[in-house]
Amino acid sequence: MTSFPGYTGTILNIDLSSGRIEKTPLSPEDAANFIGGRGLGMKILWDHLKDKPGADPLGPDNPLLFMPGPFSGFPAPSSSRTCVVTKSPHTAPSESPYEHASTVSYANMGGFFGPELRFAGYDGLVVTGQAESPVYLYIDDDTVEIRDASEYWGMGTDEFDKAFLEELGDQRFRTCYIGPAGENLVEYACIINTAARAAGRGGTGCVMGAKKLKGVAVRGTGQPGVADPQIFVAALEEARESFDNPEVYDLWRNAGTTFGLEHFSNQGRQAVRNFREGTFTEAHKLGVEASMKHWVRSFACYCCPLACKKSGMVTQSPFSGLIHDGPEYETGTMLGANLMISDLPGVMKAIYQGDDYGLDIISVGNVIGFLMEAYEKQLIDQEFLDGIDLTWGNVEATLEMIRKIALREGVGDLASKGVKELADEIGQGSHAFAMHVKGHELAAHNCHANPPRAMCYATAHRGACHLNGDDVAGQNFIALADSLGVCLFAVFGNQQYGPLLGKLLAGIMGEPAGNMGEVGERVYNLERLFNTREGFTRADDTIPERFFTEPLTVGEHAGAVLTREQFQTMMDEFYAERDWDPETTRPNAAKLEALGLVGEEYRV
Amino acid sequence: MAHKETLQTHQPGLSRRAFMKTVAVGGGILVLGQGWDVFSVARAQEGGAEYTMILVDYSKCTGCRTCETACSSYNHPQEVGGERMPGLGNPYLSNIKLYPYNPDADVAAVCAMCPDNPCIEACPVEPDPATGYRALYRHPETGAVTSDPERCIGCESCADVCRVGVITPNPENSRPERMCTLCDGDPQCVAMCPFGALTHVTVDTSRDLYALKPDQVAEQLIGQWYGGVE
Repeated sequence: MTSFPGYTGTILNIDLSSGRIEKTPLSPEDAANFIGGRGLGMKILWDHLKDKPGADPLGPDNPLLFMPGPFSGFPAPSSSRTCVVTKSPHTAPSESPYEHASTVSYANMGGFFGPELRFAGYDGLVVTGQAESPVYLYIDDDTVEIRDASEYWGMGTDEFDKAFLEELGDQRFRTCYIGPAGENLVEYACIINTAARAAGRGGTGCVMGAKKLKGVAVRGTGQPGVADPQIFVAALEEARESFDNPEVYDLWRNAGTTFGLEHFSNQGRQAVRNFREGTFTEAHKLGVEASMKHWVRSFACYCCPLACKKSGMVTQSPFSGLIHDGPEYETGTMLGANLMISDLPGVMKAIYQGDDYGLDIISVGNVIGFLMEAYEKQLIDQEFLDGIDLTWGNVEATLEMIRKIALREGVGDLASKGVKELADEIGQGSHAFAMHVKGHELAAHNCHANPPRAMCYATAHRGACHLNGDDVAGQNFIALADSLGVCLFAVFGNQQYGPLLGKLLAGIMGEPAGNMGEVGERVYNLERLFNTREGFTRADDTIPERFFTEPLTVGEHAGAVLTREQFQTMMDEFYAERDWDPETTRPNAAKLEALGLVGEEYRV
Repeated sequence: MAHKETLQTHQPGLSRRAFMKTVAVGGGILVLGQGWDVFSVARAQEGGAEYTMILVDYSKCTGCRTCETACSSYNHPQEVGGERMPGLGNPYLSNIKLYPYNPDADVAAVCAMCPDNPCIEACPVEPDPATGYRALYRHPETGAVTSDPERCIGCESCADVCRVGVITPNPENSRPERMCTLCDGDPQCVAMCPFGALTHVTVDTSRDLYALKPDQVAEQLIGQWYGGVE
């Protein structure tokens, strides 16, 4: 393999069906056009499924990609995120010629895994096929092995995190893995690392489970070179200095995203009571002041000066002795306000349990919130719920539902497919409050009082996603950041960092960095091309009915509601600005041409 | 960086007192330049027996590994167009190493600068008659444990007895590596730590958690922080 500036030049391909391990060259052209992370992952996914529209996400053809970015493994602040890219097992268009039609899925995780993959000599890990029995991947520089993981199948992520490192015999291996939810093919299972960080959304863990891949371990000793060390070192110094400012780091170090629990509630933007409301009158019981009483320490991702994660221990409650991180904004809202739970130890227990089973807590909070509402409205009875009295705010019932979902036991089997399938089964108008787009549940942000977020959810390529961007420029920028592997908290929290990314990339990869400006848009359009080929159209770019029909009733923003006209106008403007067909939503020929997405390689 | 702190700020009084003593002794030592004075004075104070080291405040450390990249950049510089500049910070080459644990604890492990020199005592190479040094010796200015690649026989005895487990034999020639150099008097891990978790201090073997292996430190931290809950 020939390395080139900023890249090892090698993609590690592992086919679990045949056991074949192959190192293939990364083309400098793909690196220049798609950079890394989400973008390069999308390109590799496209190449793999080019001739296989409608491929079964849980079949051997669907590749599962672990993609660091070009900053990974260099000390650029807060840029160690690893994007997991695959074809989603959790989305579906309203109509399609393909039985297994679904969107692209991407989810990125912080920590140390991506940098280590680069130290070991790889710009990406592509897993295809399906193992016959549970396995894990062992990657130690050039040594790559598929090893038996049978004894770990069924193990929760917390226990496995420890057992895995013990088996590996060196705490400096970096690992990621699935829990029982992924093994059991819960559609919204996630991938976890360090027992706390997740590639949470879009069912990445479900795809991993279908491959019978319990975990991946990596350790490396090398590092790619850079194009221009002088530019890089100077940019690095500037970047580090830009973070050396309490106005930038104080909030993250002191509160992390937990600050959002009260902040977004006050703005009427929180997901409360299955998104019926935007303000949680008991938000303060889970907020920073309440939560920090059990926090022990902050911990950071690779070379991150923000350290937004808080490790804590519950000391007084039936859950005394529970050690876990959080609550963060998403976890604390989806298993707190969205379920009307304000008992902090109870929320912590639910978060721990969700992470331990390896569930996407955002989707699981939606599923339980939906069922609580259906139960309250008497659309389902206690028998439907296997005897669980699933009332608002009920911690024990919530914990039992989480368990049933992860193990797909009783009602948990249907619930493991998400709110859309639950509403299909329950009927009786329940689709109006099944909070999903394209089958993928909404994150912890309401949009009655935040119209651009409605467009953000409707157009996101993995189904509802709060990190999609609220306008075209924002979407393109986020697609770029996800391709670089830069943390969004860092670029939004430090206004000086965004403008430095180009300089850092120029130091790392040299001249091709000059085209960085169009990469985000190219990635976004290729994702759309993938989705439209699967059969997704404008009819799928929508938001749940609730936002149009039920104004908020609680808090300062009571009365806020979206109108259909407002939403349609916003969407018309969006497609026009994108230069996409307003009905099929397929990017127009001129747009594809301008982005270089033409020729045999991209023919649909 | 906001947390860039010098040795002097951590040892108020020491430099002035030591300075006076040094001047009284003969005054010449200070002209060694580039930070050498601080080592010399620290040892002069206790008759040559004191060393300095990197002290980790585990309660401030977040496990971000910036220290590893700073150490590596300084101690493994690169040459670009004939000019020496900081390396790209490959953490594998770092002399300070971060070990993560579950429940959450991060332990940065670095040479403890043991005053009784177990690693040097273990070196079987005969002392050089001219210098009195074995193949492993204390650097005359910094006190850092230093390997003499010309004389080292690669027996790994030093690594075997290292209390912290820092000394790592090179995979190819078995010569000892990863001993802290103190970066010529301005330790870069201390300078670059975003959280102010590292300081450059005089060795005091009675300090809590002194010269323990990362696993031992982690066990104690987890006990303190999480009440020993596993």
